[in-house]
Amino acid sequence: MNKVLFFAHLRDAVGEEFLTVDAGGKTVAELKAELAAKYDLPKMDTVMTAVNEEFASNDEVIQDGDEIAFIPPVSGG
Amino acid sequence: MAMNERYSRQVLFSGIGKEGQAKIRSKHVLIIGAGALGSGSAEVLTRAGVGKITIIDRDYVEASNLQRQQLYTEEDVAEKLPKAAAAEKRLRAINSDVEVVSIIGDATPELLEELVVNVDVMMDATDNFETRMAMNDVSQKYKVPWIYGACVGSFGMTFSIIPGKTPCLNCLLRSIPLQGMTCDTGGIISPAVQMVIAHQTAEALKMLVEDWNAVRTSFVSFDLWRNQYTSLKMSKAKFAGCLSCGEERSYPYLDQENMTKTTVLCGRDTVQIRPSTAGEISLERLAGQLSSLGYAVKGNPYLVSVEMGEERMVIFQDGRALIHGTKDLTHAKSVYQRILG
Repeated sequence: MNKVLFFAHLRDAVGEEFLTVDAGGKTVAELKAELAAKYDLPKMDTVMTAVNEEFASNDEVIQDGDEIAFIPPVSGG
Repeated sequence: MAMNERYSRQVLFSGIGKEGQAKIRSKHVLIIGAGALGSGSAEVLTRAGVGKITIIDRDYVEASNLQRQQLYTEEDVAEKLPKAAAAEKRLRAINSDVEVVSIIGDATPELLEELVVNVDVMMDATDNFETRMAMNDVSQKYKVPWIYGACVGSFGMTFSIIPGKTPCLNCLLRSIPLQGMTCDTGGIISPAVQMVIAHQTAEALKMLVEDWNAVRTSFVSFDLWRNQYTSLKMSKAKFAGCLSCGEERSYPYLDQENMTKTTVLCGRDTVQIRPSTAGEISLERLAGQLSSLGYAVKGNPYLVSVEMGEERMVIFQDGRALIHGTKDLTHAKSVYQRILG
């Protein structure tokens, strides 16, 4: 299983600080698409992803037990 | 004013010292934006005694800025002073040792390429990704480091970008996020601003004293309301095929073709804005956000219309917008990017 954390407005959209999902073997892009559909999340392709607190690209494959975080880049300043 | 006394506490700090202070004194910082982050960065760096500070902004001071934009006063609002001008006045009053240059205008790629000459560090204080991507390309082309910073709500993030060393913003994003959250859509609290400023200016000081080993290599994001703080390791983030910092670089965001297009519509008090990247935005979500912020919003499946003070903005699903009530291209772009980041 995988712990998936959400930041900023993604957390509001999901309604939880984290979810536990089975994402082992999926790519980051696949997990994004799945969660976007399930929780009606805004555009996920430019959302940054961390796997075990390390930046991960959309084609990285998630292993069982990895902790995933989704961090949307914000533009305010 | 006696220099010794003025900077004594900073010189006493082991990371800076007399040598570091002399370096700070000889450096030039370019601050892009004079909103919340720009005000804060400019004040910290002016007090620190940086040799020269250039600050650019296209907006004027409004009442809704005063809650967090620390350089401005009610008087600036009453006079509708351009932020760059109001900032210069205040910064000069804070520290007359510092050469402050203010520019009232849009930080276009063309202007950034002119301004970056002889600059040591660029501070990100913009409110949109288009300008950030242009800064990022300028940084790579002229080998000047820059410090990304952004915030919305209680959330903020920052990352130091050193050409030839760290990944760049284009490595991380690969395209411009079309519907980035902005302070006009998601609100903002001042502590989130200050937290980003603290990180950005600490990084700037390290760079100015040339303590490159001290520069943070991780990407920081935090949420002050939800008590989250994360540092992401970025060692795998550099993208070999990056068009801004890779082998086959083309600096795509310095190209006018990739810029937001603004046009005054003939015979009407209206400016049309077409975003640099085509893509669909969620009109329903946008309308919901805007009406929860108290804007008067009307909409149908094809567009959202929102009243914003003297202007009315109509946004279409492909991100194109019409700003009614103005012929000023820069102002219209500013209104647009306030809502669509």
